[in-house]
Amino acid sequence: MPTKPIVTFAIVAGAACSLLFVLGCRQKEQPSEPASGSSTAATAPAPKKLLTIWWAQWAPADGLQELANDFGRTENVEVKVHQIPWASFQDQVFQEFGKNQTAFDIVVGDSQWLGRGATKGLYVDLTSWLPSAVDLKTLHPVALKYLAEYPTGSEHYYGAPAETDAMGWAYRKDWFEDPAEKAAFKKAFNRELSVPQTWDELKVVAEFFTRPDKKRYGDVLITGRGYDDIVMGFEQVLYAFGGAWSAPKTLKVQGTLDSPDAVRALDFFKSLLKYSPPGGSKLGYGEALEPFVNDSTAMLMNYFAFFPDLAKKMSGKVGFFAMPKEGDRRFASLGGQGFSISNKTSSPQQDLAKKFIAWFLQSDTQKQWVRKPGGFTANAEILKSDAFRKATPYNAAFAESMDIAQDFWNVPAYNELIAASAQQLGEALDGKKSSKDALTQMASEHEKILQQATP
Amino acid sequence: MRAVRTVLVVWFLLVATLPLAWLALTSVKTYQDTISAHAKFVPWSGPLESNPSGADSVRFAATLDAYRNLSKPVAGTPNDFYHYLGNSIVIGVLSTLAAVCLGTICAYGFSRFRIPGSKDWLFFILSTRFLPPLAVVVPVLVMYRWFALENTHLGLVLLYTSFNLSLAVWLMKGFVDEIPRAFEEAALVDGYSVLHTFFRIIVPQASTGMAVTGVFCLISSWNEFGFAMTLNNYEAQTVPVYFAGLQGNIEGVPWPRIAAGMMIFVGPIVLFTVLVRRHLLRGVTFGTIKQ
Amino acid sequence: MKRNEFRVRPRAAPSSLIGAGFVAPALLLLVAMNLFPLIFNIYLSFTNADLSGGPVKMVGGHNYTVLFNEARYANALTVTGLFVLVSVSVELVLGFVLAMAMRDRVPGKAVILTVLLIPMMLCPVVLSLFWNLILNGNYGILNQLLALVHLPQPQWLTDDDLKLVSILFVDIWMWTPFMMLISLAGLNSIPSYIYEAAEIDRAGRWMVFRSITLPMCAPLLGLAVLLRATDALKQFDLVMAITGPNDASTQTLSARIYQVVFRDYKVGLGSAYGVVILVAVIAVATIFVRYIEMLGRRQGKAEA
Repeated sequence: MPTKPIVTFAIVAGAACSLLFVLGCRQKEQPSEPASGSSTAATAPAPKKLLTIWWAQWAPADGLQELANDFGRTENVEVKVHQIPWASFQDQVFQEFGKNQTAFDIVVGDSQWLGRGATKGLYVDLTSWLPSAVDLKTLHPVALKYLAEYPTGSEHYYGAPAETDAMGWAYRKDWFEDPAEKAAFKKAFNRELSVPQTWDELKVVAEFFTRPDKKRYGDVLITGRGYDDIVMGFEQVLYAFGGAWSAPKTLKVQGTLDSPDAVRALDFFKSLLKYSPPGGSKLGYGEALEPFVNDSTAMLMNYFAFFPDLAKKMSGKVGFFAMPKEGDRRFASLGGQGFSISNKTSSPQQDLAKKFIAWFLQSDTQKQWVRKPGGFTANAEILKSDAFRKATPYNAAFAESMDIAQDFWNVPAYNELIAASAQQLGEALDGKKSSKDALTQMASEHEKILQQATP
Repeated sequence: MRAVRTVLVVWFLLVATLPLAWLALTSVKTYQDTISAHAKFVPWSGPLESNPSGADSVRFAATLDAYRNLSKPVAGTPNDFYHYLGNSIVIGVLSTLAAVCLGTICAYGFSRFRIPGSKDWLFFILSTRFLPPLAVVVPVLVMYRWFALENTHLGLVLLYTSFNLSLAVWLMKGFVDEIPRAFEEAALVDGYSVLHTFFRIIVPQASTGMAVTGVFCLISSWNEFGFAMTLNNYEAQTVPVYFAGLQGNIEGVPWPRIAAGMMIFVGPIVLFTVLVRRHLLRGVTFGTIKQ
Repeated sequence: MKRNEFRVRPRAAPSSLIGAGFVAPALLLLVAMNLFPLIFNIYLSFTNADLSGGPVKMVGGHNYTVLFNEARYANALTVTGLFVLVSVSVELVLGFVLAMAMRDRVPGKAVILTVLLIPMMLCPVVLSLFWNLILNGNYGILNQLLALVHLPQPQWLTDDDLKLVSILFVDIWMWTPFMMLISLAGLNSIPSYIYEAAEIDRAGRWMVFRSITLPMCAPLLGLAVLLRATDALKQFDLVMAITGPNDASTQTLSARIYQVVFRDYKVGLGSAYGVVILVAVIAVATIFVRYIEMLGRRQGKAEA
């Protein structure tokens, strides 16, 4: 009996101590500087400055951290690349912007975020600084346009290209080179089995490889509804067939997005789904890898950022090619992120950030960058160079893709536009609506959102 | 009739346990085997070469690699699984201790004293359980920003404590009500103070109840997702949020590692369920049904 | 001998101050963490607050006008209502049937019961992430098993009509044990002499079930239904893990709030949704408490 009260007191005391301990921890977690607490103690006598970069959780961020350590060594600064899962990257960044001081100095944000960042004063205006920091001519014009400029074409800069990306195709080289397959294809279509150059060719090849009884399928498309997956997957087909998100000068959506060309594009996109594995109408970027990796599918559409790991995992079995064309129109959906400096961080930190970005954009650094896993450059020279194109199986296709890249809206209300598009496209793919109805409704919703948008 | 009953019970047993069995199997497979279009059921420990992935065989080479890899961060994540497990443990244990202590004290007050408006207070406490977390997440977020509690262990602990308090108070009230008042009466008559009575008499007798309440509070905090995800806790992330974040992983969802992590995550819950099986009914019905 | 030794009633209520001292800490925390946010929520619902900060302006009833006219609002109500209705009824029926089957002495009953009860204690998010693997259209084990016995293999995670079914499936898998547990309690609370009396009167099986078993279980079953319904109203975890927050066929009220606040960044509108949910919750909680009181009174009368 006497032990029980002691036990109780012990528990209560333990709880109190733990609470105090956690309170003590909290002091460490909330430093006065706009930085997430550094775990590596500064060994230099003077406190090292800390530059915090937020990016999504993936291999390029690891690459950036490695690269940034070089910068840190020369400048006696610590650079920390903080990674956040893709699914919550956007949420966390914009939530963090709601504070008075953000925990990051630089955010490597999606191209679509530029509008929001610029109009709400979250991103630092780099218009006057960027041309002085780097020769703009060395940057690929497409990368500059989409990853740095807002509004597009205005030559106002709110970001600098960090990771340039575009969509391409991966294919089973071993299946394409298999003599039995080649013979069968030649017999059926009277031409060689080769990498498709046009969308129609792609469809033919996909159909050829679709054998459901043997659990084999022709193509995997990006059709996820969670974020912008299906929008990006469809965008390149839309533009290749002559459609567009809006008319170039007037920016009017209705008449362009629901034009007959656009309807043809969506119908074609739907038809490609026939050759996808079951469940292929709702595959996000990461999920789409699975039916390709498990040897079910011949061709995979995805961002180049995913291809280095794929090449490693399936070395010898996989090849890559850029988006096919329709007639003479060829487009690839743009990806990639740009460095933007947070307006809610101190001035000296912003200067440090600018220094880092300027260093990153130098040609020498970019040469190092492309050697990091998943690192893709915007440097036009490197992209043109043979050395780059031959370095990996996917580099050549990537360099081609940058010339044909196309992006989505980057206005502040982009998220609602994406959500509306994803829903309508999804319904069309699921067979609930005809392509025409889906696009018509999408166009009218876009108009409404664009008109209602309050900056 | 008997046959029907047996079939029914067996059927439900299968349905209840097969997914968990599949989870255990997945945790000992290689990545290729988990996403193979030909499902593999039978583990064998033969050499890997004689069972190439993609083949139609239902056998697969069992490996403990997934468990070993738990201590390595998944590609692109800053910490390994055990870091998040540690967060879950710290936050779970602290919030449970706080909820049980506060809850017991509060339950004692409601049980033995005439509190003005006690029925309304108890109703209020109960209703906090019905509130969807998402309905209050925004004001909580703003409040936490004022007090710099966002993104800290303490912030989540406080939140979980308050949401578990309703469970704790109602459960403990039931337990405390069952303790005969004779002991306290005697002690009070003998001149002991109320506090003394509480600690020396009530608490020991309610210790089973406190343990049971503690288990349910711990399970509730352990499994919580809504707040953990929305309060932007990149510093104090718990395991459910970590798993949810692995969904879009660039190298594909690491199923074997997730399965291995889930086995470890779910283990304590199963253990606790077995420990409190006699009080399960009371626990899940908020103390309103006693057996 | 002191007079108090023979008292059967506790002495007159001790000083409320001490009682208040016991109750205060918990109540203070609850008020700070629950009541205050609700009031703040009401305030926010009249503003145009944005998640990324910026100047906050009062906009009167604008958010409410937008809310009640949104297609997504009616959709969320429908989905939530459908979810609650179907999940609770199916769980009730299945749980009760299972309890009937488990009622008698079954070898290893304790073990079987414990095993059956495990699913409801597990983490919903973690489990549904794993169910994604099982239900996958390309390599999921469920479809492969269905193929083995030549049954059609529906696309659980992509077919619009089936997405809600998938979520219901996981929820029912998790919570049927809950209904079983309570049904068992109800069945076991029926005294055996009633059955003996019915046997003597030679009442048929169905008659016994309909006029004895069911009515006597009803109060507890009602409680179970209320408990599950209030939990199902909050449904968020399963939706997030299986379809994501913005899928029209599965967007419950909580998922809608998430989409509005964290993806569209409209804090004001999100708070308006929160207020609407709050009203619903208060209504449900009131019903619940009245029900418990009624149960308590019944039990008191039965014991008296």
